[in-house]
Amino acid sequence: MTDTVHILIDRADGALQRLIGLVERRGFFIDAITMAPEGAALNIALTVRGRDAGRSIDNLGLQIDRLVGARRISNDAAFRSEAA
Amino acid sequence: MSAAATALKPSAETAPQSGARLVVSTLEKLGVEVLFGYPGGAIMPIYDALAGSSLRHYLCRHEQGAAFAADSYARVSGKVGVCMATSGPGATNLVTGIANAMLDSVPMVCITGNVAQGVMGMDAFQEVDILGVTLPIVKHSYLVRRAADIPAVIEEAFHLARSGRPGPVLIDLPKDVQFELTNEARAFHVPNDAVIAETSVIAEAEAAIRAARRPVLYIGGGAKISGAVEAVRAFAAMTGIPQVSTLNALGTIPSGQDNYLGMLGMHGTRCANEAVQESDLLIVVGARFDDRATGKLVEFAPHAGVVHFDIDPSEIGKLRKVAVGVTGDLKPNLEAMNARLSSGPAIDVSGWAERWRAKSIECAFDYNAPGEGVFAPQLLNELSKKAGPNFIAACDVGQHQMWVAQYCEFSRPQAHITSGGLGSMGFGLPAGIGAKLAEPDACVVTITGDGGVMMNIQELATVNRFKIPLKIIILDNSRLGMVRQWQEFFFERNFSEVDLSDNPDFVKVAEAFGIPAFRVDARDQVSAGIDRLLAAEGPILMHVIIDPNDNVWPLVPPGKNNAEMLEGAR
Repeated sequence: MTDTVHILIDRADGALQRLIGLVERRGFFIDAITMAPEGAALNIALTVRGRDAGRSIDNLGLQIDRLVGARRISNDAAFRSEAA
Repeated sequence: MSAAATALKPSAETAPQSGARLVVSTLEKLGVEVLFGYPGGAIMPIYDALAGSSLRHYLCRHEQGAAFAADSYARVSGKVGVCMATSGPGATNLVTGIANAMLDSVPMVCITGNVAQGVMGMDAFQEVDILGVTLPIVKHSYLVRRAADIPAVIEEAFHLARSGRPGPVLIDLPKDVQFELTNEARAFHVPNDAVIAETSVIAEAEAAIRAARRPVLYIGGGAKISGAVEAVRAFAAMTGIPQVSTLNALGTIPSGQDNYLGMLGMHGTRCANEAVQESDLLIVVGARFDDRATGKLVEFAPHAGVVHFDIDPSEIGKLRKVAVGVTGDLKPNLEAMNARLSSGPAIDVSGWAERWRAKSIECAFDYNAPGEGVFAPQLLNELSKKAGPNFIAACDVGQHQMWVAQYCEFSRPQAHITSGGLGSMGFGLPAGIGAKLAEPDACVVTITGDGGVMMNIQELATVNRFKIPLKIIILDNSRLGMVRQWQEFFFERNFSEVDLSDNPDFVKVAEAFGIPAFRVDARDQVSAGIDRLLAAEGPILMHVIIDPNDNVWPLVPPGKNNAEMLEGAR
């Protein structure tokens, strides 16, 4: 089961490492990354998959929210529940 | 740089200033009085600018000591701790201290020099990508590329370090940026971001608390950080709900208070652990379900719903599902809860609470031990009683750390300074320095072991240089006692690499550093030793010989649930 998380992150030294490192460190595989510049920020979509059943995509989203200069736009699980 | 920073504008000063000068003037403007550090090539411009400033720089003898001292200074003073180091080895020596602050949510700003931008990425002398190295252990970090950004970055770093859930922030300053002259300045406007929960959420939490028959209040280090100690005490007094504390929250409820059951977890009290296991509702305030507190997580408090108060939304539900999550600053949220509870019918859990009051007397810690040797728990209890309300214990890590937590009496959370999350040996001595500088009138005692003290023993030179009247106790069992204890129980008594019986003579070591010292090696010397230690006006060290076979009891074996506590025979 994969989820795609959409994030806007300010361009700054270490910003990408900070994001990718957080996702891997919190126990997720990254299956795909797409990225495009958006003004002073980067618009990033990460397709992720938990290493084990103890990894919650909701908690990962909250961890991403803690990053300074990052704004989580959505993850597709949230889109699905909104659509339902 | 956040959106809160405004556009560049000329500063009032007409003469251009160097980046290094801006670092110092911004720290002064922020009210920094004390900082810890160690100079080196890539941070020399800042040290040059430091001379003649109002900042009191404490030269430690290793950057790790500087980081630990800054961390402890922050824990006791409530201000942001500041430390500085040069690039490369200076910066990497800070790493353990940064991780320590991260895991215990301590506000700290670390300033590192780095090589000039032109040679960054070229493996220049003493070049390390410290921003990359520290990414997982900082709340945030900056590589500053223009001198004009320095004031705003430092101000934002201070704001980030202390706001929300506090933590360490690293500012890496290439040497050319320190030299760069600028007459532009960028201002940072501190946003007002106090987080208060919705009334409906507080009401839900109130309903859960009112419905509970067997509630327990589980207090974490967040109570102290958010200044919610009085609100927690008021909640406890008003409801009569039994309370347990994590290691980092000791002192939030004064030792010996009615309905306070002590520390929970691996080396907690039987009473605290059993009450939690039987509870039907855990009211968690500023705690994070650390494994040393919960034991086997899936069997932790199996019948309990959870009401979780925390400022960090990512902690709520991270390890344990909650019935109600109250996100936001603990202090206003608990005060709102207290107001609601006091205006409704009184909470009555007196039968449940009475049961644990009786049990806590029944399973109180035992101070009696056979033999003539020094019994560390008894010594520590006597020390804290004699030291009185100004007592601050700055602990190292290991068996003595658990004995301090179990046996010392604390009247406030600042009285107990410990490396909780990281569990970093070597913390005790520099932590004592930071604590004493933060609160000069306090009776600060570093309590360390023969293993831990050797990890930052060079800081005795810092104590002596500044004549810091720190009291130091080394509890010496000539072993790595906690590891030895685990080998005894969980590794078939295979005592691998724990023998430290060739330790140096610590009395002579202290004296060589210019610090008076004496030894206590029999039980009948303990009281007089404590009196001598407490009476000393300057720094003093008491070296205490204890039994290498003493263990910390009780003990929840790793991977077991908290009801499965082992008690040792003495």
